[in-house]
Amino acid sequence: MSAEFEADLVVRDVAPVAEGVVALSLAGPGLPAWTPGSHIDLVLGDGLVRQYSLCGRTGDPDRWRIAVLETPDSRGGSRAVHRLTAGRTVRVRGPRNHFPIVASRRYLFLAGGIGITPLLPMIHEVSAAGADWELHYGGRTLTSMAFTDELPGDRVHLVPEDTHGRLDLEAILGTPRPDTLVYACGPEGMLAAVERRCAAWPAGSLHLERFTADVDRTGEPFEVVLERSGRTLVVEPGTSIFETVRAAGVSVLGSCLEGICGTCETEVLDGEVDHRDSVLDDDERASNEVMMICVSRCRGPRLTLAL
Amino acid sequence: MFSLDEVNLADNDRFQRNEGWAQFDTLRREDPVHWSPEAAPNRGFWSVTKYRDIWAVDRDTETFTSEKFVNLEEVDDDLMDIRRSILETDGKRHLVLRQLIAREFSPRNLMKNYEGFLRELTKQTVDEALSATEFDFVEKISADFPIQVLARLLDVPLEDTGQLIAWGNEMVGNTDPEFIEHTIDSPESEKYKHLPFRSPTTQDVFDYGRALRDRRRGGDGTDLISQLANKLPGDGVPMTDKDFDNYFLLLVIAGNETTRHAISNAMLALIERPDQLRLLREDPSLIASGLEELLRWASPVYHFRRTATRDTELGGKTIKEGDKVVMWFASGNRDEDVFDDPYTLDVRRTNVDHLTFGKGSPHLCMGNALARMEVRLMFEELLPRLASIGLNGDVARVRSNFVNGIKKFPVTVKPR
Repeated sequence: MSAEFEADLVVRDVAPVAEGVVALSLAGPGLPAWTPGSHIDLVLGDGLVRQYSLCGRTGDPDRWRIAVLETPDSRGGSRAVHRLTAGRTVRVRGPRNHFPIVASRRYLFLAGGIGITPLLPMIHEVSAAGADWELHYGGRTLTSMAFTDELPGDRVHLVPEDTHGRLDLEAILGTPRPDTLVYACGPEGMLAAVERRCAAWPAGSLHLERFTADVDRTGEPFEVVLERSGRTLVVEPGTSIFETVRAAGVSVLGSCLEGICGTCETEVLDGEVDHRDSVLDDDERASNEVMMICVSRCRGPRLTLAL
Repeated sequence: MFSLDEVNLADNDRFQRNEGWAQFDTLRREDPVHWSPEAAPNRGFWSVTKYRDIWAVDRDTETFTSEKFVNLEEVDDDLMDIRRSILETDGKRHLVLRQLIAREFSPRNLMKNYEGFLRELTKQTVDEALSATEFDFVEKISADFPIQVLARLLDVPLEDTGQLIAWGNEMVGNTDPEFIEHTIDSPESEKYKHLPFRSPTTQDVFDYGRALRDRRRGGDGTDLISQLANKLPGDGVPMTDKDFDNYFLLLVIAGNETTRHAISNAMLALIERPDQLRLLREDPSLIASGLEELLRWASPVYHFRRTATRDTELGGKTIKEGDKVVMWFASGNRDEDVFDDPYTLDVRRTNVDHLTFGKGSPHLCMGNALARMEVRLMFEELLPRLASIGLNGDVARVRSNFVNGIKKFPVTVKPR
């Protein structure tokens, strides 16, 4: 085995495929073979690396396809991809597969929004292999759901939330089917609900893929008043309180800088926090007593912190 | 000084002689990502010694998994699930199991619920120790204190703390013959390979923990045991008895050994550098800000191990899928590229982003805020009471390349 494939690929085509979603066609000579469920890294500069599922045909040695939803709550990964135009190059690593398809006679696919991407090649593969399958595909609105035109007809249940409500997971998963494998990809809330419903299914039935969190540094500028140090600083969009405070020479603790580890927890004395971390629970957020200064921001003009 | 071909980080005897650092220096300088073969059936392991590379490995749990266990020991596949705790779990399950009690260890909660108690306990500990002018610093100051805090968090009777300490010594000191009958690098330990740390007494710890849990089930206690007994993990999948056993064991050990060694190592460093000790004694407000430097210095955990899930590159080396990758946190804490004059202890250093707790990775030490509070309170209470403190004999270290521990640390003190 050799080291992982890494190359600059040429963007051949950028096409809108649903509201807020573009499909990118990436080309290069001798692309490694891949299997459904694989993802690649896009290296977008400034240390920004994002993973996207391959959603084209597995047999194409010259071209890969990914589809990217532009998310407003993003450190800029999806936006950087959306800014790519045909003819540009982008650094790519992979592919890797943490979501491989396991042989079975029957499959139940559950997609939420952009979570359709890894499932699409799976569906083509199991369909070609003659397996029995069905897809339940939920999204905000029909126009926001990508690739509906590429899905083969009668086994597909499209469930746009604005007209049909959410996926009825109880009806779909309520009765365990020992001969069926479940493949799910979508937002965290949906996947957690799928996991709960599948607890009664035989071990190994459920396969799912989660998207990792992104850090959102957008928003209005605001002031932070550092009570102990007697300083007042301005936090601009695109930078964090943590970075601003450190740059001003005030020593603060921080570690992951993505709102997941809790090291930078800081006491809030005044002002309303815009919590963006994954550490605090709802009660702690509502208390407005502490915040994670590496990602969280301010809802008003000013925050006062015990720093 | 060790030449590159003399380096052997699997040799626990060298760590007992405090020769880890010189070997780390050689590796950082000459071969920062270094392959060491091991005797069959093991193949060997990569040693990662630069701060930047350690952090890259630690945060990327997709490429470098903990699920194949986290020390040099290779665990049989069929025994992994029996011995698995959150240390050896990744992904969503790891997150939801952590979340059961993680916020109990948040700075806010600790300050609210435990700072007063801890301050009192620290004072008592210092009072008792300073009733003599010669004593063993480990025995009188560092050893009992963290475990008493843990006893409080678990809400177990104080008279059980002696037992908890002995258990912790045996598990983490499993490479030191003083603590365990069959050290893990001896053939006799094979018969205990189904048990965490290959320690035959883990069954006693399990029995003790389960009895606590069973009594508290359905109750409304807020201690850690009650929470583990009564809360459902966020993925909706209840903890099995084995999950609980290994979680409990981890709490008993993690809350015990490491903080003790952090306090001992920091004190020893201050004795060896009287100028730094003087700074802290004269201005105790420096203790809170100098804490991170003391923690960088103390590095109570030498390493944790990961396993590559795919072929990848690190520091110019090709890591193969399945290779063991050892992050030497202690080495990262002396990395010249990150810390100017890394072997100078300087309590006025700012922004000391050490690797002592595993930095901000998903496996970041859950008790880091508690450990910080314990070390800070101990020095805030102890240092102002000392007119002088000096070594009074030889320091004895734990025979281990996992914990950087001190067993015996005789001191003479003159109280103020």
